[in-house]
Amino acid sequence: MEDFFNNIKESFTNAVLEFETINIKVDSTQWIETHEQLRDEFNLKFFSWLSAVDWDNDVSVGEAPKESVTPCFELITCLSDVENTNLITVSTTIDKSEPQIDSLVGTYEGANWHEREAYEMFGISFANHPNLEKLYLPDGYEGNPMLKSFELISREVKPWPGDVDVEGMPEDSESGEQVDG
Amino acid sequence: MTEVLIKVGLLAGAALTGAITFTIMDVKGASWMQRRPGPLHVGLRGFIFPVAEILKFIQKEDIIPTEVDRPVFKWAPAYVMVSCVALFAVVPLSPTLVVADLELGVFFALAISSLGTIGVLTAGWSSANKYSLMGGLRAAGQLIAYELPLILAVVGVVIQAETMSLVGIVEKQIEWGVPFVVGGQIVGFLIFMVAATAEMMRVPFDMPIGESELTMGFMTEYSGIRFLIFYISEYMNMFILCAIASTLFLGGYHVPLLPTEWVNFYGPIVLLTKTAILGFILVAIRWSQPRFREDQLQNLAWKILIPASLVNILVTAIMKVGF
Amino acid sequence: MVNALDPQNIKNFSEASVSVEIETEDMTLNIGPQHPSTHGVLRLVAKVDGEKVHDVKPVLGYMHRGYEKLAEVRTYPQITTLVNRIDWVAGFSNEIPFIAGAERLMEIEVPDRAKYIRLILTEMARISSHFVFNGAYALEVGALTPIFYAMEDRERVLDLIESVTGGRFHPNFNRIGGVKPAAGAGPTTKKNIQDLPAGFYRDTKIAMQKVIEAADQFQNLIGGNEVFKKRTKDVGVLTPEIAEAFGVSGPILRASGVKSDLRTQTDYLPYDQFEYEIPVGENGDCYDRWDVRVKEMVESAKIVLQAIDSMPSGPLQAKVPKVIKVPKGRTYVRAENPKGEMGYYIISDGGLGPYRLKVRTASFSNISILPNLLEGALLPDLIAIMGSLDFVLGDVDR
Repeated sequence: MEDFFNNIKESFTNAVLEFETINIKVDSTQWIETHEQLRDEFNLKFFSWLSAVDWDNDVSVGEAPKESVTPCFELITCLSDVENTNLITVSTTIDKSEPQIDSLVGTYEGANWHEREAYEMFGISFANHPNLEKLYLPDGYEGNPMLKSFELISREVKPWPGDVDVEGMPEDSESGEQVDG
Repeated sequence: MTEVLIKVGLLAGAALTGAITFTIMDVKGASWMQRRPGPLHVGLRGFIFPVAEILKFIQKEDIIPTEVDRPVFKWAPAYVMVSCVALFAVVPLSPTLVVADLELGVFFALAISSLGTIGVLTAGWSSANKYSLMGGLRAAGQLIAYELPLILAVVGVVIQAETMSLVGIVEKQIEWGVPFVVGGQIVGFLIFMVAATAEMMRVPFDMPIGESELTMGFMTEYSGIRFLIFYISEYMNMFILCAIASTLFLGGYHVPLLPTEWVNFYGPIVLLTKTAILGFILVAIRWSQPRFREDQLQNLAWKILIPASLVNILVTAIMKVGF
Repeated sequence: MVNALDPQNIKNFSEASVSVEIETEDMTLNIGPQHPSTHGVLRLVAKVDGEKVHDVKPVLGYMHRGYEKLAEVRTYPQITTLVNRIDWVAGFSNEIPFIAGAERLMEIEVPDRAKYIRLILTEMARISSHFVFNGAYALEVGALTPIFYAMEDRERVLDLIESVTGGRFHPNFNRIGGVKPAAGAGPTTKKNIQDLPAGFYRDTKIAMQKVIEAADQFQNLIGGNEVFKKRTKDVGVLTPEIAEAFGVSGPILRASGVKSDLRTQTDYLPYDQFEYEIPVGENGDCYDRWDVRVKEMVESAKIVLQAIDSMPSGPLQAKVPKVIKVPKGRTYVRAENPKGEMGYYIISDGGLGPYRLKVRTASFSNISILPNLLEGALLPDLIAIMGSLDFVLGDVDR
């Protein structure tokens, strides 16, 4: 892991090793080139997954970020080397007003379905994708469910009982009582 | 007229009894091979469950989808049933206990048995279902392909027996002292059994039904009594083909060393025992084998069975003329 | 009126018949969502030319439950319940990478005994999953009996899982920092927690021995069957290159000849303590995929037996705060599940629940090669290939 990280660090100076996961941030224009380089130079031929994160301060589900963030989509891919332990995540940010990026299908064929998922769930469009249509959702479905602004209707109607449980706890219990076992 | 009616009644009764017996054997055989109890609750340790099964199917709604070709869809099961029942007419239980001892008994049996193909094909075609259609076409292809080795395997017997009457064939075997399967027709017997299994559309040749591929093949859209007719016909077919195989190859109603003057008494028992043994082998194969693929099935028929049966005929003829 | 017997007409007819071409049209066949062999509700839209299949288009989403979205509104302990239901054939192994991820972010060191119990139950989940595959796959190629044997043998393993966790399919047994104190051990029995049920070691040894025997029986009865070999050998060959590009993992990847096993490559559980082999196939066909899984069952049983023998004592739980808040950070934890690589990418913002949870499931990537593998296959092969990928729809759609 350390050796691999040092290797990566030589090519990508901004690589971070955090919680046993290496992450490199690239500019969205460098998206394809980075992946090609990782695939060919670092032998990361295994395409694990691709997904996106919706960063927003104004959320209608879950908790808003504690510190203010710049609203954007973060696109993350995970590549690995099947015979070794090497694993890396690559991330980039795309502007929310016009979420578009080049498709990775030419580099990794397996990106196809993952990009379709990101397309329907976040509304990110992938240029040069061979078949960019909905994957899970029915044809007439409107909206992008994974956006933070997309409400969970059932949650609005009936609050989740688990929520009540946790809210009832005292705020300071984090350092206080502990379970022993 | 009365005689004809009685005979028809006897035929139908015999066909139904045969089918029910084989149903029990199949289900009990399955539960024995699969280490599970099987049917237990209806009647004597579950042994009359086919009766309950039949009553259940009769009560069920006979669903006919809107898109089907109604008359064809309705009558297709009857074709299959008739072809099976008619076969019972020629199988002799003893020299005198036979509905019709036809001069061309073998010919009649083979001709009638191919009638079922029409029923299966029309059932698949008229169902307005793609799975049914594929099942029907597979069935047609399979039945045509295996009709040939079935007939050619019998030709060897006919050459050896010098007659096409089923009683005559059995009498010839009594005359010889040993059944044909020992007296030179072992290859013919094996080919006949393989081809017969394919004709019955049983595992490993059950692609026309192939429930993991085609849901239920040509029977997909059938329900209620029409499904029951297909279901019963399958077992009738199995019973009667086993009986014909016993007659042609295993000495029919006679076993060597038994006195021929008592044949009317032991004949039926002997024949049914032989039929049941063959049936049991089929049951054991059904519950232990996977299914062939469609092209492998055709290859087996056209590339192995048919050449083998032709060679069988040639050898039989040479032996007949030479010795 | 045409006189067919007129010599001139006969000549015309015979000439005409040469140039006539029969126009055929491929039939579109919908396989699923209700079909006996689609493991639930997968739908394939295929063009069928006789028995030949081409242009297969999988249609997903009939089982989509939106777990990634739901995870955003739940706390970490609540999410364990959700992830249990992703691959329901091996419910226990779904929890492991998620819990491990949360523990990594919180920097909790899990006690050894808890790790061993997790490992034993994970391997049992793998065995039960492979039993289901064995029975179901035989059923798909037309053999009706093996499923009964497989279910009977799986029952012993499920009974063991049940005796420890109280659940057969959805144990919900892992807690952040360890495993759940055994059933019945409430606040009153805090000091005297009985972790594994009485007789567990003995029963496990018997059951694992039976698993090894059952695997042997499968090798003989199914693997040795000529018809089975004919149906599966050289069918649906998957090359390692394609498999890697599509993210195909687990037994399917190993059947293609790649020696890749996350149990040895990562340290989410102490697999380095045990000796076992990684079965690898040669051709990457359906038979190899089947074979690798049967061999894996034996290896898993061996791991369990070793773990039982070397089980450390100690607590089941590390000290964790009562309200679990995961510090800010992001991590990806992957684990070798029965179906392949399963991973959770957790982005935590320091709250009670994750800001974003990406669930990487094995079956999703595994079946994304279906259009490639099925091009030009025969319809019976389609079923055989699909079955050999051993997917669960909950694992595909999430």
